[in-house]
Amino acid sequence: MSDRNEGQTYYEILEVKPTAGPADIYAAYQRARSTYSPSSPALYSMFTPEEAQALMALIEEAYQTLSHQARRREYDVKIGLGKAPGAKPTSAYRPEPASREEAKPGRTPVGSVKTDAWVGPVKVSTRKHEDLPSGFARTKFTVYEVKSDIENEIENVAECDGQFLQKIRLYRGVTLDQMSDEIRVIKSTLVALEANDLDALPVAVFTRGFVVQFARALGLDERKISDAYMKFFRAKKT
Amino acid sequence: MPLSSANSNVTQVDFTSLRGRVAPGATIIAVGGGKGGVGKSFVSSSISIFLAHLGYETLAIDLDLGGANLHTNLGVSLNTRGINEFILDPSLSLGELAQPTHWPKLKLISGASEVFDIANIDEVQRSRVMSSIYNYKTDFIVLDLSAGTHTSTLDFFLMASHKVVVFTPEPSSIENAYRFLKASFFRKLRRYEHQLQLKEQIDELLGNRGAHGIRNPADLIRVLVEREPVLGLKLKNILTDLNFEIILNQARTRQEIDMGGALQSVCNKYFGFPCGFLGGLEYDNAVWQSLRQRNHLLMSNRQSHLYGQLLSIARKIAKTQSLKAVV
Repeated sequence: MSDRNEGQTYYEILEVKPTAGPADIYAAYQRARSTYSPSSPALYSMFTPEEAQALMALIEEAYQTLSHQARRREYDVKIGLGKAPGAKPTSAYRPEPASREEAKPGRTPVGSVKTDAWVGPVKVSTRKHEDLPSGFARTKFTVYEVKSDIENEIENVAECDGQFLQKIRLYRGVTLDQMSDEIRVIKSTLVALEANDLDALPVAVFTRGFVVQFARALGLDERKISDAYMKFFRAKKT
Repeated sequence: MPLSSANSNVTQVDFTSLRGRVAPGATIIAVGGGKGGVGKSFVSSSISIFLAHLGYETLAIDLDLGGANLHTNLGVSLNTRGINEFILDPSLSLGELAQPTHWPKLKLISGASEVFDIANIDEVQRSRVMSSIYNYKTDFIVLDLSAGTHTSTLDFFLMASHKVVVFTPEPSSIENAYRFLKASFFRKLRRYEHQLQLKEQIDELLGNRGAHGIRNPADLIRVLVEREPVLGLKLKNILTDLNFEIILNQARTRQEIDMGGALQSVCNKYFGFPCGFLGGLEYDNAVWQSLRQRNHLLMSNRQSHLYGQLLSIARKIAKTQSLKAVV
């Protein structure tokens, strides 16, 4: 990371609000790309081609992070977004005069944002990511002890059933109630999902959606888990 | 750096501090932009007309001393007395010179006259003009500035709460407008660095740009804040108040209109404070055609796309005023 973006978050680099959704971020990225491309007339006499190139690299870096949900979430925690209200922002944010705070998109002070709309209600503890003892990790809800055998199992999963989902959930220390609140799926459906009660589950497309949400809430690779589960689901259903 | 405040005389210092303390009598909008012929007079006349249209008492002042043509843009006949007489005769007040226009709520102080060395006014005259404008009571005052980066142009620009800069999509205009913004930035920086006793620091930083990794104003302020958190932040807040607002004029294609956002982004990154984009204006032959008939476009050609584009710009400006009025 070059020193140029000191004090600037990825949101400020892309000039979007910290609450911006994926579509806004993509649009901002496209705008920024055309603004700082070597042929852009807007740069003339302000930035040298080398400086523009450095900015472009930063923009790419910002987009790589913000366009990826898991990475963005992690980054938000790192810069002090998505923390409990009252927690001190950890980013290099410096207060702007009050009158400008709302007027300018992309410069919204990072620390004043209490919730990040696309992540949903935030329930992260105020402790920092980095000060966890080694061998521990966290979900949105709690801290859990990393067990390498289960992590390996998750890593190499090809097909899994509801019990496996339950096993990961318990291993990550998330209760059914928390999960139900978080992904907005009623508890009975989650129970049915984990108990392999396929008759109580909706059609494949919805069930897949639930599993995606379920995996995402646990900070897992949603694609891998949902694919693995759907293999099981389809095999059983037919 | 030629922009030194070391030789500022007593009068100027007095007025500057006065301007800092007293609230202005109106919302001042200055329209500048480096290069000539980019449409500063057209933009400022249009903004004034629309503000008057929206129901605000508006005063348009032609401060393009020596190159005045705001009255032509407004389709008003040349008055015998204007800002030049005001400068030369200390007994006159701005109110006496304001002449009516085709729009009931819009008044004009023109800049044209037969006095030919008026473009070079001294600091005392400049201060008097500035404080009169500052204390004039109305809703909006629109200042039409001259091209170039003359100190009086910069001072008129900096006194406004809306610092509008007009770009056209050509490299020469972009370069000059950027230069104008840079000059304004440094003029303001030089004015406050003394007050905040940061002059030595800033001179040292600017002298060793390479060593400190300073490539633009944003870097300068960032390094300064790291060194002097309290005063640096104070200065940063003062400079953030610059808040340039961009208008892109004479856009011929969709891509050129989109350039407005790009200019804004470049300014944000270069200066390190948020700049605004008021809107893009399409190129329209009707502008010079109506000018040739000594008419304003908004009187003779309401079908033009410009009508809506200018209205939206005026509304954006008026919105900030009505917000202030509530408080």
